[in-house]
Amino acid sequence: MPMTEAFLNVGLNHYLILSALLFTMGMIGVLMRKNVIVILMGIELMLNAVNLSFISFSSYSGNLNGQIMVFFVMTIAAAEAAVGLALAVAIYKRYKEINIRFFEQLRG
Amino acid sequence: MLGAAIPFYILSFLVLFFAYKTITSPNPIHCALHLAITMINLAFIFFGLNSPFIGGVQLVVYAGAVMVLFVMVLMLFDLKTEVRAFSRGLFSSFLKVASSGFLAGILIVGVLMSTDMLDVTSDSVGVGVKATSSTDIALLLFNQYVFAFEVLGLLLLLVAVGAVAVSRIPGGTHAND
Amino acid sequence: MGVDLFEITVNLVKMIFIFVMMVNAVPLLVWVERRGSAFIQNRYGPNRVGPLGLVQLLADAVKFIFKEEFVPGKGHRLVFYLAPVVALIPGALAFAAIPLSMPIELGEFSQIPLGLFTIDLGETYGPYRFAFQGYEIGIGIVFVLGVSSLAAYALLMAGWGSANKYSLYGALRASAQTISYELALGLSLVGILLLFNTFNFKEIVEIQSQALTFSFLGSQMTVPYLPNWGIIYQPVGAIIFFAAMFAETNRLPFDLPEAEAELVAGYHTEYGGIKMNMFYIGEYGHMLVASALMVTFYFGGYTLYPFFTPETVNQFWSETMGLTGNPVALLSSLSLHLVFMVKLVIFLWVFIHVRWTLPRFRYDQLMDLGWKTMLPWALANTILTAVVILIMRAAWS
Repeated sequence: MPMTEAFLNVGLNHYLILSALLFTMGMIGVLMRKNVIVILMGIELMLNAVNLSFISFSSYSGNLNGQIMVFFVMTIAAAEAAVGLALAVAIYKRYKEINIRFFEQLRG
Repeated sequence: MLGAAIPFYILSFLVLFFAYKTITSPNPIHCALHLAITMINLAFIFFGLNSPFIGGVQLVVYAGAVMVLFVMVLMLFDLKTEVRAFSRGLFSSFLKVASSGFLAGILIVGVLMSTDMLDVTSDSVGVGVKATSSTDIALLLFNQYVFAFEVLGLLLLLVAVGAVAVSRIPGGTHAND
Repeated sequence: MGVDLFEITVNLVKMIFIFVMMVNAVPLLVWVERRGSAFIQNRYGPNRVGPLGLVQLLADAVKFIFKEEFVPGKGHRLVFYLAPVVALIPGALAFAAIPLSMPIELGEFSQIPLGLFTIDLGETYGPYRFAFQGYEIGIGIVFVLGVSSLAAYALLMAGWGSANKYSLYGALRASAQTISYELALGLSLVGILLLFNTFNFKEIVEIQSQALTFSFLGSQMTVPYLPNWGIIYQPVGAIIFFAAMFAETNRLPFDLPEAEAELVAGYHTEYGGIKMNMFYIGEYGHMLVASALMVTFYFGGYTLYPFFTPETVNQFWSETMGLTGNPVALLSSLSLHLVFMVKLVIFLWVFIHVRWTLPRFRYDQLMDLGWKTMLPWALANTILTAVVILIMRAAWS
């Protein structure tokens, strides 16, 4: 049976499809939620999906450059989370709520 | 074959389930905890993909530091379950979900159609690919990518200063020092 | 030769055994702690129930299990119940990754001799190699650091799930402390990594099982009668690591999260009975991991150079005692395991002694110590180690 074969023989495609689904979930989260921090979480999910596809390409082609890229993405994600949370704290102090629509009023 | 398939399906089910819970839980703290579980599961997927170093870094950086930060900030805010967690408008919501689904469909079809374009062994993980050692990663990082690495260090410094500047209280906690 | 049923069974049993070992060490440690504190403070401690008060543990366990269990009215039920379980996981996962003795290498065998009679298995079981640890993992150090950084979740979940201000303050303090000291912890290990060139616990221990050997300006020097232990190269790193480990376990000089004078009992104010006990198991599990890591990185792991190394122990059982084959492998692993246990117990005692000797820090002192003292020292140690290694290992000819 070719269908079960395709399901059982886990290969690069399976990981890439998982990554695509994860990316979509993150994207829906970013589009649908109103809480800034949950939106940040959606972005983290998307970054993780990208990491997963990098790692699976790297693993299946035996090329380490993908892992280096994941390393960079992780660092930048950590930095982005720090800045995003700092902004959220600033917004919360002013409005006692962290809704995305308050970001319209951000001014220097 | 089955030995590689069972862990993969269990882990990917868990990843997708908790990712779904992340974006649908009305309470932001539950979202953060679910996201942490997603990250941990992804770390184990990375272990399975012969990248133990990246898996370990994923545990330390994402699950251990970034998500703890999220959870801490959320607990400081002491948010209740949100009455209105999702954005308004039935039609626009439908449009958003539909376009995301469309994107996923395009990605999956693209992946399935480009199977033969990449020259890889599509057998189970690890055939012909040795477990990558951290030494190889370090050599690559400090030779070929050393400039990017340094720039990243600078970026982190900037971000640290910026985050403190944005969230600082006038006077500060150490005002008397 | 693939993996057969025997091997899988042994590996599973091993993992369960190590978990049970960790859990069962806790009552003993509690007993040692109570008797030890009594000894330090010049009183008796538990001495009524059974010999030396040892049965007290059993009585305590029964009491814990049969206590009424409750959830705070406004608490979050699921999070509240999950927190104690999550508290157990990091300690157990990390402890299972640490080698407790050298791997047992069994040759082919077809019968099990049991003293007077032997069990005939009928078929030959082929050569096996069982690591004396829960599971072998190549990047042991990164894995253990990653897993123990998950400990903050248990505290946060407990604090938030109880819907109690004291709990929340305790949890926030605890997690801030854990995150702050993790930096110093990770950096203090970099010296060891540079020195031994590996992430793998087993290789680290193997390097430490020789005589003190180092390259001095390009030439190889050996000092006989001194072991090749990490503490000799990295005294500063060892001190920082040990102090940071105290902070990670949330024990006394750093037990701000449950400062009873300020916060009632910190994050486990609302917990009682067996759930409370699980937090204790988590804490003592962390102590076990900390001591085991200390032993592995800085004090030679399961070896003790001139006397107990894999070679000498093998020689003792095969030549002096005249055994051959599999019993030698088994017995030498077990003897090295005893060496490890003795070292572990010494460090656990240090943990307990420190708890009953030092007073508690104030919170800002704690943060200052972490960020302004230990982090710069750890950084300086890292840089100095790198420079010294570069100079010493360079080819000077």
